[in-house]
Amino acid sequence: MLLDETTLRKLHRLTLIARRIRSGAIKGERRSSKRGSSIEFADYRDYTPGDDLRRLDWNIYARLERPFIKLLEEEEDLAVHLLLDASKSMDWPPEAENTLHKFRYALRLAAGLGAVALASGDSLTVGILQNGRVTAEFGPTRGQIALPRLFAFLENLQPDGETRLREALQAYALTPRRPGLFILISDLFETTPDHFLRLLRRQQEAVLLHVLSPDELDPPLTGDLQLLDIETGQTQDVSLDGGLRSLYRKRAAAWLESLQAECRKQGMRYLSVVTNRPWDEMLLLEMRKANVVK
Amino acid sequence: MQLLVPGGLALLLLAVPILLLYMLKLRRKPAQVSSILLWQQILRDRQANTPWQKLKRNLLLFLQLFILAALTMAFARPAVLTPAVASGAVIVLLDGSASMHATDVAPNRFEAARRAVGTLIENLPDDSRLTLILVRNTPQTLIAAENDKALLRQALASARPTPTSADWQAAFALATAAARNASEPVIVIVSDGGLPTTGLPALPGEVRYVPVGVAQDNLAISALALRGGQLFAEVSNYSSTSHTVLLSISEITAQETALRYARQLEIPPGEQRNITLENIISNGGIYQAQITSPQATTPPDALQLDDTAFAIDRETATRRVLLVSKGNLYLEQLLAALPGIRPFRALSDELPAERFDLYLFDGLYPPQLPPGALLFVNPPPNPLFAPGSPFQPAEMRLREHPLTRYVDWSNVHILQANAATLPNWAETLIEADGRPLVFAGETEGRRIAAVMFDLRQSDLPLQVAYPILFSNLIDYLVPPTAFDASQSLHPGESLTLVPPPGTQQVTVAAPSGKLHTFLSSDASLTFTATEEIGYYAINFLSNESNRVEYFAVNLFDPDESDIRPRSSLQIGQKVIPPAATERTGLRELWPWLVGLALLVLLLEWMVYHRREYSVFRKRY
Repeated sequence: MLLDETTLRKLHRLTLIARRIRSGAIKGERRSSKRGSSIEFADYRDYTPGDDLRRLDWNIYARLERPFIKLLEEEEDLAVHLLLDASKSMDWPPEAENTLHKFRYALRLAAGLGAVALASGDSLTVGILQNGRVTAEFGPTRGQIALPRLFAFLENLQPDGETRLREALQAYALTPRRPGLFILISDLFETTPDHFLRLLRRQQEAVLLHVLSPDELDPPLTGDLQLLDIETGQTQDVSLDGGLRSLYRKRAAAWLESLQAECRKQGMRYLSVVTNRPWDEMLLLEMRKANVVK
Repeated sequence: MQLLVPGGLALLLLAVPILLLYMLKLRRKPAQVSSILLWQQILRDRQANTPWQKLKRNLLLFLQLFILAALTMAFARPAVLTPAVASGAVIVLLDGSASMHATDVAPNRFEAARRAVGTLIENLPDDSRLTLILVRNTPQTLIAAENDKALLRQALASARPTPTSADWQAAFALATAAARNASEPVIVIVSDGGLPTTGLPALPGEVRYVPVGVAQDNLAISALALRGGQLFAEVSNYSSTSHTVLLSISEITAQETALRYARQLEIPPGEQRNITLENIISNGGIYQAQITSPQATTPPDALQLDDTAFAIDRETATRRVLLVSKGNLYLEQLLAALPGIRPFRALSDELPAERFDLYLFDGLYPPQLPPGALLFVNPPPNPLFAPGSPFQPAEMRLREHPLTRYVDWSNVHILQANAATLPNWAETLIEADGRPLVFAGETEGRRIAAVMFDLRQSDLPLQVAYPILFSNLIDYLVPPTAFDASQSLHPGESLTLVPPPGTQQVTVAAPSGKLHTFLSSDASLTFTATEEIGYYAINFLSNESNRVEYFAVNLFDPDESDIRPRSSLQIGQKVIPPAATERTGLRELWPWLVGLALLVLLLEWMVYHRREYSVFRKRY
């Protein structure tokens, strides 16, 4: 189980924040930039399990004995695209049951954000990025009824292969999509981060959740080593001493800083997620602070 | 510099396995990481200062190679040639005699000699062994065949000069013994050269001479004697120039030091001047003669030990002997003839109240024994020795004893003697038919002797043995003096003390005030701590009295007073010039190299652990 009941209940009260509101395909709970002619009511749509029962039109139900959901004119839904990096580098630390495991953590984040999106009646698409492609896709779907399917979808994923984010994002963009909120969950171990950042920005409003485990920021390594990249299989000889380690730490910090600066420049929201933070705290507290949810 | 074991350099080949091990060690441990992206970046950053990094990475290798190099060099035993007076089996004869007290070289000759020996020890090659002999009246081996410089230095520091003369013959014998096992011994004599020119045995091996001292000038009081109211003093000039000194003679009493005589003497080189003072009143005083420079501020010469001398006014004590007899011409004549005796005579058994040193009872035994020594001739039956019956001695035998020395008993005939049982405190001196005829001993703090026959019943008074035996007996019963020091002693000379009967403790106070105490149990004591120049006070302490006597120790040694340093030595037929330092020794450097290797090893350990520790600290 990716998320427990309590957390899930708490998550239901949250909504994803999209700063630049996009026109929705159907009526949702969000205010649209379009000013409609009628004041309140716009349309009905069929009830799907998981929809907010408060919005059920009980009068129609009494008359027709079929449940309909009232759509109000000024509210529309949001297309939420959750893009999850499922490359091999996310399979870290190597022990999968480790609480610091990045992919496990990323799945939880995805599940949590997905739950928020579904609970808010947003249209949710989850894309799995592997080897420069979108290897699996969930949705677009709406309503809380999709939540168990989402969980099942996420739990079946295995990290493998390379990321090649730029190609993968391009591939994702090739398919016609509704514009909306793009949330990318990745460790961003990419040679040219600004490329895909620009790509991301051009497409959508984006949130970048940068997932790293603590030992990636301060590796507990020493001696003469041949480092093996578990994702690419490349090796690198390194003789580690105190000086080199401190250099690495500085370099990692500078990397995070540059990513954050770049994101700010591109108008994206960036959140560095280190897996030693409890994930529910991250979802309920840090994301709120970072204006990802409210 | 040279290598003693050049083959040791072959150990440098060990560098090959070290390098191989290092290369093996550099086969890197594989380690998985999620991405090498950041690693590649920082390694790219490091390209700029690669040479230094490479060096740093290989610092341990370099340190290890350095340690190997240092140890290999140590194995090869590099050595440098050092100037040394001696190497091999070295025997140093360090002169510690009186003349070495001369202050012509600061602080004195002995310290200069000590420095010379110290230099010799420092420059001693590592394969050499050194024996150090301090030459004085009794030469002493301070350390034998040692090459540990710390021990040698310690032994050298313990050497003390004495104001005695040097017994070079004994020292040469010691040196010869020490050189016996060495193949090429080198004997180094560090001295001012006051060696006797004749009578020295030849020395084995090579003999080198390190001269000490520069001054020529010395004046000495070469004699001071007090006899029969006359004081004789002699001042010698051992210099090569004429000198004027002030000779002063003072009398030291318990209360004061009174100047009795002073005179300025001009003494030509190599000559003596003497003075005689008449009419010295004999009152047991101590006379001190001293020479000083006329300009009283400076000492007259470089050696002060012989500038002062002491003489003790010490007449041989006259012993008061009381003869208690009904008339014996032989004994009366004998007592009148023996020197150092003041005879008195008592006619009856009634003894005078006055005290005498010796009571001689002829054919009598007093109802009450007087205090003092007792000599019985032909005693009647008495409680001291059990009475016996008269007998005719047939076979007489002289026991070997100091009291029977020079006594010829072969022609003595005795008509009749009295048998006696020998008391347990007495020793038989002459026996007849197994019975004691003459015996002596000490009991209850007094000495007693007995002659068990009437002189008139024998021909003894006509024999030469008569005065000799009685003189020996009287000297034993009442020793003329506690010790024989009619002349002053030389430093280090021993003195035999015969404490008066009844003495319980003998204390000798040296000039420096040091006290030597002996509990008197034996008849005589030998006092040997006479290494200070000056006068000594001997205190004979008994229940009744406290007798103090004095004796003086003076240098009076022309060999020592003649402090002119000899430029060369003559031993037997050989003339030995001063040693030059052209001879070289080898000083090995390997201990330094091993020390260096250890230091670098420590450094290597620290470098290695600094790396480890920084990781450790970050992780926990």
